[in-house]
Amino acid sequence: MNLNIFLMNGYGVYVWSSFILTLLACLFLFLKTRKTLEKLEKNFVKETQSLSHEELEDLKKQKVIKEILVSHSKT
Amino acid sequence: MIKFLNPSYVFYLTGKLLNFVKTFILPIAIIGIIFSLFVSPKDYVQGDAVRIMYVHVPSAWISLLCFALISFLCIISFVFKIKSVSLIYKSLAPIGLTFSFVAIVTGSLWGKPTWGTWWAWDVRLTSMLILMIFYIIFISSYKLIKNSHKSSKICALISVLGLINLAIIKYSVDWWSTLHQPSSVNMLGKTTVHFSMLIPLGIMLFAFFLYTALIFLMKYRIETIRVKRKGLKKL
Repeated sequence: MNLNIFLMNGYGVYVWSSFILTLLACLFLFLKTRKTLEKLEKNFVKETQSLSHEELEDLKKQKVIKEILVSHSKT
Repeated sequence: MIKFLNPSYVFYLTGKLLNFVKTFILPIAIIGIIFSLFVSPKDYVQGDAVRIMYVHVPSAWISLLCFALISFLCIISFVFKIKSVSLIYKSLAPIGLTFSFVAIVTGSLWGKPTWGTWWAWDVRLTSMLILMIFYIIFISSYKLIKNSHKSSKICALISVLGLINLAIIKYSVDWWSTLHQPSSVNMLGKTTVHFSMLIPLGIMLFAFFLYTALIFLMKYRIETIRVKRKGLKKL
């Protein structure tokens, strides 16, 4: 196996560090955002369940609320 | 135009677009990384160190683009008093902050083998650092100031001041004698990067754009749910 592919004539440490750091930064932001979104959706559904049937039906008339509830049920 | 600013319509669209972006992002990112690390040629002066360009340049461009968009949206929100615009700029700011951080750190990693130093108080480098500080102040201001009217005023002020910094970043390499090289890729002028390097750069830029879209869509949903939760608590 040609090790120079990884060593890159001595520049490997800089090149790989850049790519790994970029990947880690992107992964961190993605996982953090996904966790927050899932938590918020879950809490939102929990809060709507505590409402009366009439209040819930009224809320469902709002497209956004209907979408949140539908998207949560899919996951 | 008004339809695209309607949160319920945008929320519906985010759901559709998220699935589309999720399907394409990983294959495109993998192709981009393979091209950048193994297929693209070495530079005749910088050798393999030039490969850092494939993550450094797209992240720098996206961080600049995000701030320009944020400034435009803040001005719109302040002048026309459209509250829903704040959902968009709040969703863009964390992406811009992440990419400005990536651009600074990868730039430093590129600087060591090419300039012999991790950091220099050069105009381009310093103005990029100032951009990151602007992002931090901007995010802190809408997170800490609860009064939405006051927060939108301060956000507009920060973004307008940041616009001056954006112009400095863009033209610093032309106005001053800097350590940083002048721009090699020009939309209107002559591009000095070879085609064999432009292809991986284009693929990586596209992958970064897809990632930006993915996070933006998720963040937009978060901001919308937060607003709707406030409405629920009032019931």
